[in-house]
Amino acid sequence: MYAEQANKLVLDAKRIEKLPHLPPYAATTVRAVTKEVRDLDREVSNLLAPYNTGSTQSSDGTHIKSSGFNPADDPATACALLVNHLSMRRNKRCLLAYHRVRTDKLEEMCWSGVDVADLQAASRRSTLRSGNQSAATSSLSAEEEQYMHQYSDLLAAYKGQWTDIDLTGSLEPPRDIFIDVRVLQDVGEVQTEYGSITLTKNSQLNNVRQSDVERLIQQGYLQKLG
Amino acid sequence: MASYYCPTAILTDAQKAPTTFSLAVPALSHSPLNNNSGTPITPATTLDLPLWLAEMLAVSRPSGPASAPLATLDMPSALGPKVMNALTADATSVELRQQAQWFYGLGERMLELFEDEEMGAVLLNTFKKRALEIADKAQNTRTAQQGGDSGDFMSGLDETERQLFRAAHDGTHTVKRWFEATSRG
Repeated sequence: MYAEQANKLVLDAKRIEKLPHLPPYAATTVRAVTKEVRDLDREVSNLLAPYNTGSTQSSDGTHIKSSGFNPADDPATACALLVNHLSMRRNKRCLLAYHRVRTDKLEEMCWSGVDVADLQAASRRSTLRSGNQSAATSSLSAEEEQYMHQYSDLLAAYKGQWTDIDLTGSLEPPRDIFIDVRVLQDVGEVQTEYGSITLTKNSQLNNVRQSDVERLIQQGYLQKLG
Repeated sequence: MASYYCPTAILTDAQKAPTTFSLAVPALSHSPLNNNSGTPITPATTLDLPLWLAEMLAVSRPSGPASAPLATLDMPSALGPKVMNALTADATSVELRQQAQWFYGLGERMLELFEDEEMGAVLLNTFKKRALEIADKAQNTRTAQQGGDSGDFMSGLDETERQLFRAAHDGTHTVKRWFEATSRG
């Protein structure tokens, strides 16, 4: 059946909608779908070749001066053309939906304050941890990474207009001024508004001001306790 | 716009319906349409085609508005008389997921093409009865986990019903958690 691979993409898209992170870009499937579209296009050109030459011969041998395809004359070819055309449109729709779901997820991540450089570093770290010594493969395709860069720049420019509020900050109102946090990743010493804080992995800090550490919690370096 | 990009709408359209060609199409005999077999597509060939293809074939009339369409569309077996009778008898015992993963979506699409009021009424009734059962299961999670026979009902839900269940379940959960959180602080 036509558009089988495309269906796989859409099932992937449906799954991605629910996941918290973005799985790797299905480059092979996308390539297979685009190949199918090209093959369908070639078939359509082959079917229409006898009609478009403007020659004096039609497919059943009678002499026709006019060029162009009249569906009433040859409904069988019309049917084949329709099927190919619909399959191409279907493949296109599936591709667009898959990419749209992924870009929506990327935008969501930009708005929730995930740093683009951090994302790539995290994926590199995870591939090294799993023992894979080959080149770091990000979950994003090259175009998606470019998209994310440009979108974050756009977002930063937009946020820059209002310096006193952080548009990508947390939407939950704080309950206490001081909170307890646990450190998830080693980042050494961090300068905050009220002094510096040393962060070593798996240590626990008590009574840190929420306004200082909120950014670090959002980026994933600290975890809020209680 | 929402429906074009929406994966649910796309997957609903991918469900199959039996289509009977009303003319011979030799050009498609070797295509994946025909499972790549060489059997020619003659006027009597019936194939299970996905809705996005079948609908357009059933609607197109290449020889002008007075002639016959390229293919005729039949009701898929998921919405056939047997299932309809089972639904009128007892809506909650039918395993909709076995019939079609997006059962209600399929019903919507078929109703767009065929004017079948009776089927519409049956589907509406089914949805109401099953929604009641889903709400009950979502609110009382303890009995749902312990009850052995309720597992059959849960596995027979189609995708729309599953989303409904998840929404109801998450809603109750969130409210409970909020109550606990505010009573603490």
